[in-house]
Amino acid sequence: MKPMLSTELNTPEAVVDKAKIEVKNLNFYYGQSKALKDISLSLPERSVTAFIGPSGCGKSTLLRVFNRIYELYPKQSAEGQVLLDGHNILDRSQDLNLLRTKIGMVFQKPTPFPMSIYENIAFGVRLYEKISKSEMDGRVEQALKRAALWTEVKDKLNASGLSLSGGQQQRLCIARTVAVKPEVILLDEPASALDPLSTAKIEELIDELQADYTIVIVTHNMQQAARVSRQTAFMYLGELVEFDRTEKIFTSPREKRTQDYITGRFG
Amino acid sequence: MAEHTVAAFDEDLGQISRLISDMGDLAGTMVGGATKALLNSDNALAQRVVSDDAIMDARQRELDDRAITLIAKRQPMADDLRHVVGSIRMAGDLERIGDLAKNIAKRVGSVGLTATPRDLSHSIDSMAQLVLIQVQGVVEEYAAGDAAALAKLRNDDERIDVKYTSVFRELLTYMMEDPRNITACTHLLFCAKNLERIGDHVTNIAENAYYVLTGTQLPANRPKQDETAMSAPAA
Repeated sequence: MKPMLSTELNTPEAVVDKAKIEVKNLNFYYGQSKALKDISLSLPERSVTAFIGPSGCGKSTLLRVFNRIYELYPKQSAEGQVLLDGHNILDRSQDLNLLRTKIGMVFQKPTPFPMSIYENIAFGVRLYEKISKSEMDGRVEQALKRAALWTEVKDKLNASGLSLSGGQQQRLCIARTVAVKPEVILLDEPASALDPLSTAKIEELIDELQADYTIVIVTHNMQQAARVSRQTAFMYLGELVEFDRTEKIFTSPREKRTQDYITGRFG
Repeated sequence: MAEHTVAAFDEDLGQISRLISDMGDLAGTMVGGATKALLNSDNALAQRVVSDDAIMDARQRELDDRAITLIAKRQPMADDLRHVVGSIRMAGDLERIGDLAKNIAKRVGSVGLTATPRDLSHSIDSMAQLVLIQVQGVVEEYAAGDAAALAKLRNDDERIDVKYTSVFRELLTYMMEDPRNITACTHLLFCAKNLERIGDHVTNIAENAYYVLTGTQLPANRPKQDETAMSAPAA
């Protein structure tokens, strides 16, 4: 069956909130190869949207379009529109540094900088703002508290970020993202390298952060998508197959391809 | 439906389906047997129905164990999840049908001891036939995956309710006509009520089965015709 393509149809019924990001007829190319095919969907503000689908379906590619991180690589291009609060971020005049302060990203593997825990957070803030030492102390503390890491690291802020456990490093990366006061947080498989307890902490964190941020998460773990997100998009071979309320997707999806994928009947 | 990548998942789901099918067959046998025993004062058959209930209970426990293990091991989603959760609920209704059939069977001795004119139990017979058709039908339609037939079957419970109302009035009339009928007719009234309750459990099963197959719920309201709570019989 043909995927539904209009923006209106790709807004889950129950989600009536204001759209933070609207994707309209987005195509993406790796050289000649088309990785995203005419994607249109609308991501509501201050809620969690999950992208699921098999490897190579385009979900990470779509995430990478949102902060134009793909431009760091040659021969990758996007066409169509991605509207952040109504402004097309694919427009050439878009300031990329400003865009990336508004749309932060956390990757699959924790990537702390080889510097102290404090500096891991202060470093990014300093790039965009000139603030006093005491203000910076406050900002670091606030970010670490926001990422539910403060109590674990408050007595060793000068220790290396690399000395932390995997789960703590990932939360440090989230703290680093939160510190520059973004509006949207992109999470690319944020818990796939973590043990179940660290994963639970990340999920708890996502749950808390959605009160203030629009969150987009790519995950291979369907139970995780079902737990943390309010709406879920299923992608396959570069197409958006189905986008709906998460409960609907995981209990009675509309499309057979979605059903086959989430029940483990694929291919 | 395509097979799961993990073949053992299909096997686990298949075992749950087989248990539901077995329990459905057993429920039909028990309801049919209990009614036959009642109408023919057949104590041996009644005893068999009573002992069948233990098998029904064991099947339900096995289904519960398998369903819970499957959820823990495989985290089913979408139609698989509906299938497993729906099966747990359907098994609960089938087990209750078994209990009600057993209850009818246990009254066979008491009804049979008193001299009951044949025509007292005649209308119960036709009510039991309606119920048996529903019990057998719901399991067959679920196995065939026929959602439309299940929706119709659920509404057909109305006929049992209508029949129950008429049996109720009829038995009350017999009791008023001749107090010597009271013992037998009271037992028969309980039997009729049990048959009516079996019909309600069939309705629940049909609703669950419909949800398992389609992912949508049937509307909450369905026709109801049991008027025994609101009307007095004509004296």
